[in-house]
Amino acid sequence: MNANENTHDPLVERALVGFDLAAEHHIAHCQSCQTEREKVEDALRQFGVANREYANRPEAFWKQQEARIRAANREAAQRSSVTMTLIPSVVVLLLLAFAILGRTPGVRPVAVATPTVQTDSDHELLLQVERAVGTDTPLALQPATLMVEESNNREPLNSRSENKETRSHEN
Amino acid sequence: METTLTSALGAAAQNITAEEFDAIVRRHQRRVHRFLLMLLRDPEEADNLTQECFLRAYQNLSSFRGDSSLETWLLRIAANLARDHARNRKASFWKRLLGLGYGNEDGAAEHMPSAEASPEQILLAREDVRAVWDVANQLSQQQRAVFLLRFVEEMELTEIASALGLQVGSVKTHLFRAVQTVRNKLRDLR
Repeated sequence: MNANENTHDPLVERALVGFDLAAEHHIAHCQSCQTEREKVEDALRQFGVANREYANRPEAFWKQQEARIRAANREAAQRSSVTMTLIPSVVVLLLLAFAILGRTPGVRPVAVATPTVQTDSDHELLLQVERAVGTDTPLALQPATLMVEESNNREPLNSRSENKETRSHEN
Repeated sequence: METTLTSALGAAAQNITAEEFDAIVRRHQRRVHRFLLMLLRDPEEADNLTQECFLRAYQNLSSFRGDSSLETWLLRIAANLARDHARNRKASFWKRLLGLGYGNEDGAAEHMPSAEASPEQILLAREDVRAVWDVANQLSQQQRAVFLLRFVEEMELTEIASALGLQVGSVKTHLFRAVQTVRNKLRDLR
């Protein structure tokens, strides 16, 4: 390798990559660069030839490949046509199903149980009031009273209140 | 035939008949297959992706506007397929680990033209081809695609740029680096 090679290095590559006027002008007057260019150019040419040769296949291979491509294209076309006919059919079936069920798609069923619940709670409240009036005990105190009765294992409050009343009458 | 088909595709690509598409396959399958084989170095995958390439071309004919040549468009589809395939690194990792598929650079080196060459010249030429393949193997997928399109397919820089969706300047940069590495490798060899 001589000193000139390093100085002229990029010009050889530039000439090999594509047409470059400056590189061509230099190489035309520089023997070492000319030799270097020819050497690399030759290796690249051999590389191309060897690979083209290697990739070469017999005619039967290309016929087979062509047939496979044709079959794949036909299959894909059939698949897409089946899909195209299936989608509208599915849509029609869905619409029919909604029509039969008496619902239209996109309308959500309305909760109709709310008024019934309201009626039930009103009725329950009325019953509770009646129960409270019947026992002469305020509704809010009833559970507490029952708890006291249970814990002390005594008579119900109602009977005690009756006793109190009779005792007060006695007094 | 090519011009007629290309202009027909550019005008109303979706109206192309199956027979016309067969003619396109017949005309371009060799180049597409070779490009994929060089890029992937796996004959089986090259076969599969060639079929896939033409299938995609057939399905997307309407997107072909005739701005580039039909062959450039097909090579672009092939390059995209190869890139997607390369992303699936797991498969290639196991193949390499098991020694399957790859290593066809040696196969390519065996296919040297022997006419008018002495055994010594053939041996040297084989060494050169292997050295160039070593360099090509070290390149990124895109750089290798550029390199192969230039030196195996002998395409013009503008065609390569169009096929790979690159600027001509980027193509030049990729090639410059690759050629520089080839040159260094050959210098080490001698």
